[in-house]
Amino acid sequence: MAVLAGYEYFFIPALPLLAFLFIAALATRRDDERIAPAFIITALLGSLALSGIALLRVTQAGPFTMTLAWLHVGQLALDLGVTLDYLSAVMMIVVCVVSLLVQIYSIGYMKGESGYGRYFAYMSLFSGSMLGLVISNNLAQTYIFWELVGICSYLLIGFWYRRPSAAAAAKKAFVVTRFGDLGFLAGILVISNLPATTFDFAGLAARVSTGHLPAASLTLISLLIFCGAVGKSAQFPLHIWLPDAMEGPTPVSALIHAATMVAAGVYLVARCYFLFTPESLLVVAIIGTITLFLAATMGVAENDIKRVMAYSTVSQLGYMMLALGVGGYAAGVFHLTTHAFFKALLFLTAGSVIHAVQTNNMWQMGGLRKHMPITALTCLVGALALAGVFPLSGFWSKDEILTAAYTSHLPGHTLFFAVAVAAAFLTAFYIFRLWFLTFAGAPRSEAAHHAHESPGVMTLPLLVLGALAVIAGGLLITVPGTGHGFGQLFETAAGAEGPAYGVMILSTVAALAGIALAYAAYGAKVVSPAAFNARLPFVYALFKNAWYLDRAWVWFATRVVLAGSALAAWFDRHVVDGMVNGVAWLCAVIGLRLRRAETGQLQTYAFVFIAGAILALGFIWVRNYSGYSNAVSAWLGYGGR
Amino acid sequence: MTPTPAIPPLEAYLIVSVLLFAIGLTAVLVRRNAIAVLMGVELMLNAANLNFVAFWRYGGAQRMEGQVFALVIITLAAAEAALALAIILSVYRRFRTVNVDQVDLMKG
Amino acid sequence: MIEALHSGSFWYPLAFIIFALGAVVPAVLVVASRNIIHSALWLLASLASIAGLYLLLNAELLAALQILVYCGGIMLLFLFAIMLTPGVGDPDVRVHNQGLFWGLLAALALAAVSLHLLREEDWSVVPAANLRDVTGRLADALVGQYALAFEAASVILLVAMIGAIVIVRTEPRE
Repeated sequence: MAVLAGYEYFFIPALPLLAFLFIAALATRRDDERIAPAFIITALLGSLALSGIALLRVTQAGPFTMTLAWLHVGQLALDLGVTLDYLSAVMMIVVCVVSLLVQIYSIGYMKGESGYGRYFAYMSLFSGSMLGLVISNNLAQTYIFWELVGICSYLLIGFWYRRPSAAAAAKKAFVVTRFGDLGFLAGILVISNLPATTFDFAGLAARVSTGHLPAASLTLISLLIFCGAVGKSAQFPLHIWLPDAMEGPTPVSALIHAATMVAAGVYLVARCYFLFTPESLLVVAIIGTITLFLAATMGVAENDIKRVMAYSTVSQLGYMMLALGVGGYAAGVFHLTTHAFFKALLFLTAGSVIHAVQTNNMWQMGGLRKHMPITALTCLVGALALAGVFPLSGFWSKDEILTAAYTSHLPGHTLFFAVAVAAAFLTAFYIFRLWFLTFAGAPRSEAAHHAHESPGVMTLPLLVLGALAVIAGGLLITVPGTGHGFGQLFETAAGAEGPAYGVMILSTVAALAGIALAYAAYGAKVVSPAAFNARLPFVYALFKNAWYLDRAWVWFATRVVLAGSALAAWFDRHVVDGMVNGVAWLCAVIGLRLRRAETGQLQTYAFVFIAGAILALGFIWVRNYSGYSNAVSAWLGYGGR
Repeated sequence: MTPTPAIPPLEAYLIVSVLLFAIGLTAVLVRRNAIAVLMGVELMLNAANLNFVAFWRYGGAQRMEGQVFALVIITLAAAEAALALAIILSVYRRFRTVNVDQVDLMKG
Repeated sequence: MIEALHSGSFWYPLAFIIFALGAVVPAVLVVASRNIIHSALWLLASLASIAGLYLLLNAELLAALQILVYCGGIMLLFLFAIMLTPGVGDPDVRVHNQGLFWGLLAALALAAVSLHLLREEDWSVVPAANLRDVTGRLADALVGQYALAFEAASVILLVAMIGAIVIVRTEPRE
């Protein structure tokens, strides 16, 4: 099916980017805005079709890469290329499907908003950048698209830029991820400094497998690249931007901060998996475990519906990192896929609720399942998937991760496993706390009393995603078009163990326990959360304040970073500027002194002539008629005149 | 048979030439009246002329370049003197003085 | 007369010394005079002595032209210019020489260096091959080999004349 000898795959990211250009040119003014979604949806349908073709091609003809030479300077080679293998094909399909559903949802959600066209423009730019990121076949191109998605995230978080909190959140997101990107860039630079180097993934993998690169540099490189993943995927300690990123419109949160962009970090680790040594994998696993647990505890104490989900996203990303760390490559990618579906679903239901009730505060909701049955049902499906209840997709993917952790050979894997199970309990608890507070019980405010269901354009994507959240578990058995199960497609040396029933039972127990506790506290009101908080105020404060990590970062930024920059500023002002000003001062002084020579007096100039003439004659004298010349010649070793 | 005349050595004429040149130079550098400066220039030109003719005579007196050059210098000196004096008169009209120190429009 | 001078071993050097002093001493007085007309007249004397030196060097035509053009024409120009400008008997003109030290220093330095170089070099003097009919040979050269220089010099004179007129001309009053 190589219609255009491989060039057609470049259209996968190109179509949404073209849509961006068209929307930006044609559809941002008030009157034309309504046609904006048409561009992006068309583009995404095209990209989805091509992605499907790509998947089929990989199945039939194996992995495929194509490179267009772009910039070759000396040793440096930057190219544009596409790589098709199961990882990129699956990611592309996920991105296209979720993005498409989110755009359809946005038509209803963003209706009547000013900046409607701008929104879809940014969304297209993002979709194109994300697709470009996953289809890249070399690190430099990946980095370019990495930064592009970062910019789109900034633009979309700060979509309602007149709101100070939104602008601040956008800035925070950008700066914090930049921190991580610094490490990523450093990793790329280290690679570029190796002898006979390349940025190409296939080339790097070949060099690693032939043992060209010593383990120490591999660990360094992989850890630096992991820094980028820590930033982008909001792992501890750079997770602080994701909860604030909820300032953006909810579809943005669904697409970017749940399903796709934050998954880019996980994707990067998966893509560069061959660079990771056992030491760096241990680091990945540790960070992942810390993240999944801390975020789960923070989600328990939140009252804002979107922030609960934000912490949930952080926690689930921690699960994915843990999976990759302990060697469960297939498990990590599988969870990425299922999480994309059910987390996007959850966010869109939250958006539906917010749209109806005009508030994010769960304590002002309640009893919405009567007024918004579709939303309530799909949210329930998503919650069950997130909690990991059989037979929904989340159960299978979380189970794969837990199994991988249990059977891994990584030192400390048992501890990771235990923490992950505990966090599963917390996960089920906080998500059902959310569901009960929002949809069950009695309405706690006027708005909740008068809420009504969202229009069809918004509920349709909910239903589609709900279905996907239910059946995506089947991917484990078979991925359509490939004839293999997920595990077999991504088999690595460390994977491929049989199903562990003990783990399954344990995770189900944890999930059901969490749901039960949530029901007891918020559904049937048997257990009182307030009493619990009164008994353990310290714990409650810790969770509520997100373990004070935000404050720690602020301290670091103001004390350490600003102090360092004050030093640098002093240096710049006095030494560097001093040198430049000094040169100017020197020129001025020389000019002042030399100006004395320009007297305007004829005879001064005549004097200077004569002085020059005397010097010339003197020169002839010395050269021809004194012993100086002979002395010089004798010293230089040959005869004089 | 004419006995060999005891003519002065070439250096004698050259020394005179150098002295005249130096004196003319002094006049150029030292005098305040513009016309006096011009007189110094004329002295320098004449010193050069003397040089030329001396070398012509002591170089064999066969080829005439020395004298032709001296002749052309006289011509040019005449032209230059005329123009220079015209300029001085013009300057006098503008500045009301021929003192070279006072004919100065530059600042600083 | 010149032959007579030549054959004698006494008159020729004497004539040289007279003319040489006659050139240098008035030149010094040109610089030193307070009265500018005196300077002009001393210059005249110096130029005339130089004509004498030319005679001693067998450049008869040149000597004659020196008197005619320099002493006769150029000095006349100078005197006219002096008459038309202040500086003659003007009580305001006080300062005659400025920076005497530096000027003198430069001139002396130049003279010293030049004289030294002069001394060092050994001049290979070629005895005169033919001193007959110098004027005729000069005339031949001027209209023959150096006709271009000759013509060019005349053009320059024309241009200088026109230029001088243009520079000095006042705008006609309306």
